[in-house]
Amino acid sequence: MGMVGDARIRVPDRITRGEIITVNSIISHPMDTGFFRTAEGKPIPAWFIKDVVITYGEEQVARFTWTSGVSRDPVISFTLKADKEAPLTMVWTDNKGGVYRQSVPIAFTAA
Amino acid sequence: MATSEPSSRRTFLRTAALVSAGLVGSGAISRGERLLAAVGAGGPEDPEVPNEIVAKILQDISRGRPITRGHLSLDMPAAAEDGRIVPLIIESDLPMTVDRYVKVVHLVVDFNPDAHLAVYELSPAVGTVSLSTRIKMKRSTWVRAIAETSTGELWAAYAHVNVTLNGCG
Repeated sequence: MGMVGDARIRVPDRITRGEIITVNSIISHPMDTGFFRTAEGKPIPAWFIKDVVITYGEEQVARFTWTSGVSRDPVISFTLKADKEAPLTMVWTDNKGGVYRQSVPIAFTAA
Repeated sequence: MATSEPSSRRTFLRTAALVSAGLVGSGAISRGERLLAAVGAGGPEDPEVPNEIVAKILQDISRGRPITRGHLSLDMPAAAEDGRIVPLIIESDLPMTVDRYVKVVHLVVDFNPDAHLAVYELSPAVGTVSLSTRIKMKRSTWVRAIAETSTGELWAAYAHVNVTLNGCG
């Protein structure tokens, strides 16, 4: 993980239709609260992800509203009922207007 | 794992506050009792409401409905050395069907600068409630996970975490 907004989504290698899978995600972001100062005493302004939208195919399946209380480089894991072959997309939006997108295909293992 | 602390005094205060709910505004009862009465949504063994901010958050979530402990689990370390990174897992045995599902899970951390730390809106497409993440905590306190179902029920789980290093600045 390097630049702000670098994001990864991990899903299982083998997925069968109808299975409930765990989706793990991480995004590189400082999640600054606005309460800290630099070593020189300058205030560090608040800079945090406030909104995460998760879309599976055309359907929005979840949406998270965050504050700067989520730890630096936010990780979030959730589940998904894998009932179609379609991309799973996450869009993270921060309080300065930064928008970060990542997507993984959900594809089924041949039986 | 954190568990609720048995406290006869706390139970007494809570009970007294609920009994005296009709007296809110009379000026005859303490601030703590007013807070408890104002929320009036939890059971006698639930964590005390520490201040007006948390009371307002719980009121906004409950809108007069009871918040009942159960059907939700909140797993956190009982002691967290570094308040900047405190892991948590929220799970539920509630159904996730089109007819009845958990539509939102609230995460509230008493005494944090933003006490209403996160809101997780879900849909039946996630299949089950299983969330894990890492949060910042300012000091030792209670963490509350509250789930609202599509049919309007409110279910809660609580965890007490002892925090050594303030993670909020």
